[in-house]
This record gives sequence, C-alpha cells and structure tokens, in this order.
Amino acid sequence: MVLTRSPPKKMPRKAIREQRALVRSQILRATSANSPLPPSYYKAISQYLSQAFADGTYLKDGPPKADAPASAPPNPLTDPGAMEGMMAGMKTQMVMMVPQMIIMGWINFFFQGFVLIKLPFPLTLGFKSMLQRGVETPDMDVRWVSSLSWYFLNFFGLNGLYRLILGGENAADSSRDMTTPFAAAAAAAPQPGQAQDYNKLFKAERDNLEFSEGLHTWVAQDVDKRILQKYGRIPADGK
Amino acid sequence: MEVTFALQKLAAYKPRQSRKSKETFESGLALLEHGSYAKKGETGWDEVEKLALAALDQGNTEVADVRTFALSIYVTPPDAAVALYAPQRCLKILADKFPDSPRVDVLTGIRMEATERPEVVLRYYDELLEEDSSRAAIWRRKAHVLRQMGKIDKAVEELSAMLDTFYTEVEGWLELADIYLTCQQYTYALQSLSHALLLSPQNPSYFLQFAETAYLAEDIPLALKMFLQTVDMTDDDDGEMAPSDSIPSGITLRAWFGVKLLITEPRAASSSASQTSPPTTSNLSALDNLSTERLRTAYLDLKNESPPVAEGDLITALTALVK
Repeated sequence: MVLTRSPPKKMPRKAIREQRALVRSQILRATSANSPLPPSYYKAISQYLSQAFADGTYLKDGPPKADAPASAPPNPLTDPGAMEGMMAGMKTQMVMMVPQMIIMGWINFFFQGFVLIKLPFPLTLGFKSMLQRGVETPDMDVRWVSSLSWYFLNFFGLNGLYRLILGGENAADSSRDMTTPFAAAAAAAPQPGQAQDYNKLFKAERDNLEFSEGLHTWVAQDVDKRILQKYGRIPADGK
Repeated sequence: MEVTFALQKLAAYKPRQSRKSKETFESGLALLEHGSYAKKGETGWDEVEKLALAALDQGNTEVADVRTFALSIYVTPPDAAVALYAPQRCLKILADKFPDSPRVDVLTGIRMEATERPEVVLRYYDELLEEDSSRAAIWRRKAHVLRQMGKIDKAVEELSAMLDTFYTEVEGWLELADIYLTCQQYTYALQSLSHALLLSPQNPSYFLQFAETAYLAEDIPLALKMFLQTVDMTDDDDGEMAPSDSIPSGITLRAWFGVKLLITEPRAASSSASQTSPPTTSNLSALDNLSTERLRTAYLDLKNESPPVAEGDLITALTALVK
C-alpha cells in the first residue's frame, strides 16, 4: 500500500487559503458562547468574515463576476488534478489484484480435483458448474461440492457474516478490495471527482456566523463581580 | 533570586530566546558527541533538530552581545565557537538523513540568518517559496528576516498575507502584534492579539498581554476586565486553600498589579473605544481594596518584610518585582 500511494499533492497558496477560510469562521463560531473577546472585537471579526464570504474574497479564482453564468461544476476528466486522484485509486487496485491472483492460482494448483463436502439438500443440474469446479466428472451428484468451489463460496459468502460479527470496518472484510476502482477513488477523502463549490459553502457559512453573533457572550462581561464574590468581598447572589 | 533575575534579564533581552535553550544545548551536545541520536529512532532526529535550534539560540546571543555573556556566566557558558559549530554539525546530520525535508530547509535558513547577510537569506527563502508557495514556516521566517532588516512595512505585509492563509499560527499572530507594538499601533496590536486569543482561549498569558496592550491603547475598562479575567483564570481556586488565603505570584501577581494601577488611574471609569462598560463605583472601590490587599500579601511573601503603608510606595516597590 505504501508503495502505491502517490505523495500528497502540493497545493498552491490560493487553494489553501480558500480551503482554510471556513476553518477560520468555525474557530470564531466555536468560541462564541464563551468568547474571550469583547463584543466589539468579536463583531468586527465576524462581520469582516461575513463580508469577505459575501464578496468571495477567499475564492481561489478571485471574486465571481456578476455577469458570469452560474458556473457548472468542472468536468473531472478535464482537470488533471482530479484525474490523478482517480488514477491513484486505480493503481492501488491493480497492485491489490496481484496477491489475489497469486493466491487464486495457488489454490487452483493444490486443491484441484478434491471433493470437500456434501450439501444436505438436492440441487438442480444447473449448479454443477458452480459447485464442482475443478472436478471434471459429468455423472457426479450436484450435492458434492469441490474444494475449489467451496473456497470461492466462502471467500465471497462470508463477508456478510464478518460484517455482522466484527462490525463494518473490519480487516477481514474483503468486499472493500473488490469494489471497482472508481468507487474506491470516489470514496477517497476529498472527492477528487467533484470540486467543492466553495462559493456556496461560504454563502451558507454566513448564516452560521450571523447566528453565532447572536449567541455571543463575553467571558469577562461580569468578571469584576465574579472576582469579588470569589474573594468574599460581596455576597454571592444566591447561586 | 540572583540567578533568576539574571535569567529574566536575559529573556527580556531577546524575547524569543528560551531559558531552556541552554539546558537543551548542554544535554543535546552530549547526545551529539556520543552519536547516540541515531539509535533513538524517530525521537533522536527530533532531538538533533532541537539541539541545532538551541545552539543557534545560544551562539547568537553570546556572539552578539558581550553583556549577556557576562550575565550568563553563572551557568558555565559553552564556548561560543562550539555553539556555532554544533548547529553546523546537526544540520549536516539531518541533511544527510532527510535530503528533501522542508524542516531541514527551515533549519538551514535559520542557520544562515545567524551568520549571513539578510539579503542572502532572503534570496534563499524566496527561492524556496518560488518552488512551493505554500510553505508556512519559510514564509514566516521570511517575514521575520524582513523585520530584522528594518523593512517593517514589508514584514507586516508578508506576515498578514501568511496569516490570512494559515490562520491557525498563533505564534504568527503574536509576532504581528509585537511588530505593531513596536510601532505604537496599539489598536492593530489588539486586533492581532484577539486572533491569538480566539485560537487559544485557554492561555492566560495571552489575556494578560491583551490587557496590557489595551492599557496602552487607553481602553481602560477593557484592560481592567481583561486583567481581572487573567486573575480569574490563574488564581488557583481548585486547590484546598480559599482564594483569599492564597498568595498571588507570577502571572496572577502581574495581573493584580495591573488591576491596581488601573483603578488608581483617574480614567478608570472613562469611556472606552470598545464600548466596554466599566464596573460600578461600589465594585470599583471593593476591587481597589482587594487588589491592595493582594499586592500586600504578595509583597510580604516575596520580601519577607512588611509592605510600605502608602499606596504609592507599594506600587513603586512592586514595580521592580513584577517586571
């Protein structure tokens, strides 16, 4: 896995700035209920951010133009960055396939021609090719299962059981490896396929900022009273 | 007491110099001599980096200033040449081990800052940034070099641009505030500090700094509240002693001192730029009593003699103690 992973892509300044602008407002909002800042300072920062989000100051490509059409999300296939992300997923898949194939070949080699179990129920002839792979006898009852078939049945059939017993993200769950390369790429962290529309995110963040501004309380608002009570200079007010 | 005083002087001399760097330097040097850094695995390399920084810290001050050298004589100073030699060796070790590491690049830059002309270092940083424009550490060093060169306006510009991108660098905000302070731009300094406060609201020393800056900006009620907030955060009220029996020290003492100074100030109830409402008059006088009492307690503890009776004398006597 380590070998196939491509090194993290370097982002230009503007992209980082765009990506982290949201964090900035989140930090501000996180403190709002017990803010270290007095109201005027908090408001100044909050309104600055809100204005910057409205104007698109933090957008990578600069503020959007008024007459530009609502931009469609860029096609992932034309963006070399996104393409690279997809290729990385595919590359990983390819390498994962190699040990699978070796194991399969190994099993094929050793267990060809053995009959392993007998099913307790009868089956129609159609299952013959599925259950008796590796044993080329036309006359044998379909209830007999060859070892190779039994291996495959278990290999694919036990995943559900594993997930049930061991939980969703367990190491024994091989169905993850079996998904298509595109699905794997899409599940990779920041969705290389579709670029985030930061403009929309920023617009949404403005509402959050406004909401937090209403919640803002300065932690030092009544600190004089608190100190005096703590040192027993004025009586505590019944709390 | 003497040694601490000398160390405090040292620390005041160069704000970024840590008092620990000498210790780090000495213990690290032994590590380097024995070559045992490689055996310690991942942490060993960290140690070498730290040693390089500490040695630079030591080497710099000792070469640069004879007076600091004389002051630090208490703790057997290492030879200045060794101090400048050690980072070179550390750098070589690290550069051999991690040829393309951005951290080693930064370290090389800092090493160059110690001996090269600032223009040369600046060019080095510019080259690195051209290669990859998103390296926060290099960007910050660049702003720092600009500041050292006296190009304050450029330094502020670079630093603000960097902080606009990498918002979470608390140190960067503090440095920006520091630059503004040296230019007497107290309002801007307050704004930079407010970001530092947002990023780490659990650190009382930022509150203290904010309060002191607010005092300089003549926003007295704001400063008063911030000083009190510092007191509230630092007095050890989780301990077994009642807060009124504890002895204020360190940052708490300094905050109490600030409270006292502000209350004696005639402008205590004046209007403030940040529209902070000052405490009520009765609360103010109670705070006045309380802060005097606190300061007396601290004085008694530090000096082992009864504090001066007159308030003015008490303040003067304490000025030297809370420095």
